[in-house]
Amino acid sequence: MTELVQNLIDALALGSLYALIALGVTVVYTVMDMMNFAHGEFIMLSAYALFVLADMPFGVAVAGALLTGVLIAVLAERVAFRPVRRADLSAQLVTSLAVATIVQNAVVAFVNARPKSVATPSFVGETTQIGSLSVPNLEFVTLALTAIVLAGLGWMLYRTRSGLAIRAASENFDMARLLGVRADRVIALSFAISGALAAVVGVLLVMQTGQVSATMGLTPVLVGFVAVVIGGFGRMSGAVIGGLFLGAVSSLLGAYLPAELVPFRDAIVFSLPVAILIFRPHGLLGSATGEARV
Amino acid sequence: MSAASLRTRRSIAVSLLLPLALVAATALVGANGTPSLRDTVITVLSNMIIVLGLQVFIGNSGVYSFGQLGFAAAGAYVAAFLTLPAAFAALQVPGLPHLIADAQLGPLPSTLIAAVACGLFAAVVGLPLMRTSTLAVPISTFAFLIVVYNVLANWEEVTGGVSGLVSIPRTTSIESAALWASVAVVVALVFKWSASGYRLQATREDEVAARSLGISVNGERLLAFALSGVLCGVGGALAVHQSGVLNPATFYFGATVTTVTMMVLGGARSVFGAVLGTVALSTVNEILRGVEGGANVLGIVSIGNTPGLAAIGVGLILLATMIALPDGLSGGREAGELPLPRRLRRARAAALPALSGAAPAEKIAHDGELRAEGISVAFGGLQVLRGVDLTLRRGEALGLIGPNGAGKTTLVNVLSGFLVPDAGTVSLDGVDASGRSPSRLAHAGLSRTFQAALPFPHLSCLESVAVGAMGVGVGRRRAVAVAAEVLDRLDLRKLSSAPAGSLPPAGQRLLGVARALATRPHYLLLDEPAAGLSEGEGEQLVEILGGVLDDFGCGILLIEHEMSVVMSLCPRVQVIDDGATLRVGSPAEVQADPAVVEAYLGSSYPVAIGA
Repeated sequence: MTELVQNLIDALALGSLYALIALGVTVVYTVMDMMNFAHGEFIMLSAYALFVLADMPFGVAVAGALLTGVLIAVLAERVAFRPVRRADLSAQLVTSLAVATIVQNAVVAFVNARPKSVATPSFVGETTQIGSLSVPNLEFVTLALTAIVLAGLGWMLYRTRSGLAIRAASENFDMARLLGVRADRVIALSFAISGALAAVVGVLLVMQTGQVSATMGLTPVLVGFVAVVIGGFGRMSGAVIGGLFLGAVSSLLGAYLPAELVPFRDAIVFSLPVAILIFRPHGLLGSATGEARV
Repeated sequence: MSAASLRTRRSIAVSLLLPLALVAATALVGANGTPSLRDTVITVLSNMIIVLGLQVFIGNSGVYSFGQLGFAAAGAYVAAFLTLPAAFAALQVPGLPHLIADAQLGPLPSTLIAAVACGLFAAVVGLPLMRTSTLAVPISTFAFLIVVYNVLANWEEVTGGVSGLVSIPRTTSIESAALWASVAVVVALVFKWSASGYRLQATREDEVAARSLGISVNGERLLAFALSGVLCGVGGALAVHQSGVLNPATFYFGATVTTVTMMVLGGARSVFGAVLGTVALSTVNEILRGVEGGANVLGIVSIGNTPGLAAIGVGLILLATMIALPDGLSGGREAGELPLPRRLRRARAAALPALSGAAPAEKIAHDGELRAEGISVAFGGLQVLRGVDLTLRRGEALGLIGPNGAGKTTLVNVLSGFLVPDAGTVSLDGVDASGRSPSRLAHAGLSRTFQAALPFPHLSCLESVAVGAMGVGVGRRRAVAVAAEVLDRLDLRKLSSAPAGSLPPAGQRLLGVARALATRPHYLLLDEPAAGLSEGEGEQLVEILGGVLDDFGCGILLIEHEMSVVMSLCPRVQVIDDGATLRVGSPAEVQADPAVVEAYLGSSYPVAIGA
């Protein structure tokens, strides 16, 4: 019983992390119809900010990571994505792949190629005893941050003018423009939010692994993509549910798979979208709205 | 009488020979260079085969797959297993079945087996993947790549794990690499110009229009996906027999970005582009790699040892291409389609495909009918159709009119299989056709056009129309003849080699009709063909359609809200309003019906309507 509860808490924590990644991908997708491959590099670069600011108080370093995430996301939009805004989805996806390659290898070339360890507050490495459960504090941090982010995002989207602009643009971008929503501002804002979400994930990943590496963004972005596919494209709720589902499955597989199959956990997890899409071509929550209208 | 053709002999020859010449030139550079340059050139040629593999699927379908390098990896491992000396195999991969481990094949049989194995692998993987939406394919294929990597890296007793395999015989010569690359060029071009290749390109240009022409989107994609797997497998096999070592990272993320960049840089729609892009990017890459190891550029700037620089270069080139040159170096054209120097242009103009003497299309028997009964459709709470009946006989022209929002297009969508009704049945020549897909209905003799022209912009007019015939299974040669006839009949012959995207709106609309006619429909549904055209253009179109009816003998359902257009063409008219049939009858009867007048003009409008 204790073990089951323990595993469920682990699953929820990992699911929350994945949900944050999927949300970051979705915020941009809803407004711009672009799957941003460079999101993983936003995560990676934010994590590197922690590494560079390691001598500063941890709070300052985290602020630096947030700023980095926002800045790189806004910069990438301005330099790379704005010129291809009118291109089709594939072209935008390939463009974001180019940005990811450039950012990742710029870190390899000009910062360092090998993984580096980063010190984090000792608190997150410890566990808290609740009855017979011992829960890593990091999981509390993850759950708390996810709750705060979801609440903040919800408030922002449904209670502010900018949020309304984003929601309008995600429903019908051209119509929103005609009604006076400023396209450049909305897109830049959604990238900034996406960058901030990436930074939160970057900080959590560093706390979890205690290190940074130039390639650390690859798996997260694919996790985010797969979660989006599972949840159904372009819905914030879908992203959260897809992320939770994927994280839970991954975590529970880790706990219950026979030992000799554990190394193949990723193979099983990444086969999931295919398995799901066979039966529900538009994702768990998706409807056929993504299909071309006749 | 010369048969119509999609391109001139000259154009075909140039399209084939220029990329082959580029392959040969690349091979010659390597053959006469240092041993290290030789190795580089062999790598370039094996990469080229993989890039051609990408082009076959991505270029023709317009759908990005990031998983094709998984097939290159599979090809490389299969080829390595089949050639690894038994003693090495026992040492490195003890878990490998004896039959494979003991096999010690030569380079040719091992490459061929790798090719077949990867084709089958791709077909099996593609079966579920191609069912997913256009949006999900890039992601699910990337997930597939990770699955392949994960298995290769962890299944140690069979694959050698992360450290991989060594001592694989290095048998790929520059000649064999060049030969295989040439074969790949020919395969890619032959596929692109086959009926199947055209059907796939049509789905890239406009998925909805392609389905209306009888094309099975998933089926065509799957075939190309499998063929792409074959080419990638060959590329992987040649690469591993060049390097002699193999690990799971060889064909992973980095190689995926590099090969996709090569394809995009050259121009994804073009086979020539794949060859050109591979050579161009490889050249830049080699220079950057030199710089990476520390170099002194022009004796002025000295650069230290900087890993990652070549990859940054690849990324920057990819980014610049996407922003400034989205059609790539080739402009998406084959070598034979490139703009010619002025001196040659006159000769080319004279060699435009000649059309056959337009024998009138064989008449189709005038029996059978398309019948819809009790069709009801609701969108959410909005009841759009309430139990509508409709009968269209072969050889007749039925006008379907009604005010905006009456449900005309919804009814056409139901009849053509794009929409499954909540209630009611559709039958075709007495056979129940409810719930059949648009492409199956097209095969059964039902075709349609759309309110928008939905052209295939990158295909020529002749190709666009020929695709209509290919869509319902007509072979390439016969399809071109059919297309030439139809174009002739609709007076579009002079435009046959123009890209469909370059036509004015009226021309594109007419081309849409031609495309639908090329499927040889028994029933043709025209959804507001005159919408958006000027009055003169509309009248001209109606005149042409009147002739079509006589020549082709198909039943035509003409949807319009302009009454005058319908009245002049259709002896029988059905009026629907608010989702229900208001009146069926002759134009005169319909016009005299007060209910119809009211629906159109409101009750207080006293004047009769129509021409």
